[in-house]
Amino acid sequence: MTVLEARDVSYQYSVGTPFQITALEHISFSVEKGELLAIIGHTGSGKSTLIQHFNALLKPTSGQILLYGKDINETKETARDARFKVGLCFQYPEYQLFESTVYKDIAFGPGNMGLSKEEIDARVRRAAAFVGLTEPMLEKSPFDLSGGEKRRVAIAGVMAMEPEVLIMDEPAAGLDPRGRRKILEMIENYRRQTGSTVIIVSHSMEDVASLAERILVLNHGKIARMGTVDEVFSHAEELQNMGLNIPQLTGIFTRLNQLGYGVNPLTYTVEQAKTEILRYLHKGGAADG
Amino acid sequence: MVKDITIGQYFPGNSFIHKLDARAKLIVTFIALIEIFVCKNFFSLALIFIFSIVSILISKISFKVVLKGLKMIYLLIALTSILQIFYNEKGKVLLEWWKIKITSGGVNTAIFMAVRIITLIFISSLLTYTTSPTALTDGIDRLLSPLKKLKVPVDTLAMMMTIALRFIPTLIEEIDKIMNAQKARGADLETGSLLKRAKALIPIFIPLFVNSFRRAYELAFAMECRCYNGSNHRTRMKTMKFSWRDFVAFLWVAVMLAAIILLNHFFGAVI
Repeated sequence: MTVLEARDVSYQYSVGTPFQITALEHISFSVEKGELLAIIGHTGSGKSTLIQHFNALLKPTSGQILLYGKDINETKETARDARFKVGLCFQYPEYQLFESTVYKDIAFGPGNMGLSKEEIDARVRRAAAFVGLTEPMLEKSPFDLSGGEKRRVAIAGVMAMEPEVLIMDEPAAGLDPRGRRKILEMIENYRRQTGSTVIIVSHSMEDVASLAERILVLNHGKIARMGTVDEVFSHAEELQNMGLNIPQLTGIFTRLNQLGYGVNPLTYTVEQAKTEILRYLHKGGAADG
Repeated sequence: MVKDITIGQYFPGNSFIHKLDARAKLIVTFIALIEIFVCKNFFSLALIFIFSIVSILISKISFKVVLKGLKMIYLLIALTSILQIFYNEKGKVLLEWWKIKITSGGVNTAIFMAVRIITLIFISSLLTYTTSPTALTDGIDRLLSPLKKLKVPVDTLAMMMTIALRFIPTLIEEIDKIMNAQKARGADLETGSLLKRAKALIPIFIPLFVNSFRRAYELAFAMECRCYNGSNHRTRMKTMKFSWRDFVAFLWVAVMLAAIILLNHFFGAVI
C-alpha cells in the first residue's frame, strides 16, 4: 500500500528575489507501507528540502504531496495532521531540546497532539525504551547528558508521536562507531516492532546498504536514480560522477570482479563478504585444482 | 518569513559603489546624510533625491530590494506627513472645515518630510547593501583610530561589532532551523491568544540561547588558540587604499553641497 507519494513536486527558494534558487525539479515517487527508503545525494542536492515537504513544513511551488492518497496541503487541518502522521527528525536534533527534564521534552510532541495524560505517559515510556533511555535518566535535565544521549532523547521526542512515517535526516552524523550502530539498530527495531515506514537521509553508503530496501538518489534537485540497493550500487561510476560513492567493500568486490575473480560485486557487509569469499574459494579451489 | 528582512543586508556586487573604500563610503554617506538636512527647498531636495536614485542605479541593486527596505517605515512616513498637514498653519488656507485647517505650508512640509525620510533611507541602506560587514567595521575601526590616543579600546569594539554582525545571519538560520524542528513536533506558533503564542516561543528561545552560549564559548576558545589578545598591533589581510574612485566620490558630494547651498540661497526656504 502506498503511504506517501510525491507527484511532480518542484520547489524554489526565495521566489522573486535575487536569491531565487530552484531546489527541486519534477520529483515523483512513492513510498510503500513498512518500507525503509534511503535518500542519498551530495550536499545541496535537495535532500533536506525534499523531506520538509512530507510533513508540510514546506509547500511545493508546484506539484502535490499525497499521504494515503490525499493532498496534505489542502487545508490547515490536513497539514497539521501530516505533522503528526509524518515524524520528521532533523539533522543534529539534540540542539532543539529545551525542557527541564528529559521526560517533559519527550512529552512535548504527544502533548501538542492533545492526547490524554495517561496516553502521553505511555508513549513517553515506550519511546524511551526504544532508544534505550533508563528510568532515572527521564528525570535528568537534557542539558546534563552526553552528546549521544541527547541525540537519543531528541529522536525519542519524535518517536513518541508514534508517526506512521518516520523520517530521519542523518540520524548518525557526528557519532562514534558504537553510537552510530546503536542509533541505526534503534531505528530498525522501531520499524520492525511498529510496522511503520522509515525514510533515512544519509551520507554513509555502508549504513544505507545495510539498512535500506530501496534507494533514491538525488542530484541537483532531480531524481537521478531510484531502485533497490543492488540496482543503485551497480552504477558505481554514475554515483561517483555525482560526488557520491559506493560502500568500500562493494568497491573492492567490483574491482576483484573486474580482475577476473568470479565474486559477486554487489557485496555490502563484512558478513556478506565472508560468505562470498568462502563460496568463491570452495568453488575456485575445486576449479583450479 | 525571518529571511525576508533586507535592512542591513549586504548584496555582493562589482559596481563603482561596491568598489569604493569603506572609509570613503562611510564619510561620503555621512556627508550626504547631512546634506539632506541642509536642504531648505524643493530644488535642493530634488537634487539630493535624484542623487540617491542615481547612486542606487550605479550600485545595480534592484529597486525592489530597496523598496522592500522602506516597507518597515511606511507607517512612520505616513504619520509624519499627516501630522504636518494638520498642524502646520503657515501659508495659504486651502481647505477649512470645523477645526481642521489645511494650509499650503502644511502640504508642502508634508511632502518635503516624506521625501526627506525616503532619501535618508535610500542613502543609508545603500551603505550596508554595498559594503560587507567586515569592510564596514574595518572602516569604522580605521576612522575611529585617533580615539586610541584617548585610551578608547577601538580595536576591541570593532572586533565585537564584527562578531555581532557576523552572527546575525547564523542566528537567523538557527531560528529557522529550531522553528522547523519544533513545528515538526507539532508546535503551533501561529494561532491562539497572545499569551499562548508567547508561551510557544519558549521552545524556540531556550535552544537558541543555549546554542548561542555554546557557540560563543567555542569561538572564544578558537580565538584564544590563535593567540588573540585584542592588542592594537594587529595587521590586516586587506589593507585599505584610497583610489581615484574615492576622490571622485568625495568631489561629487562636495559639489553637491555647494549646489545645495546655492539652490537654498537663490530659491528661498520652504521650511
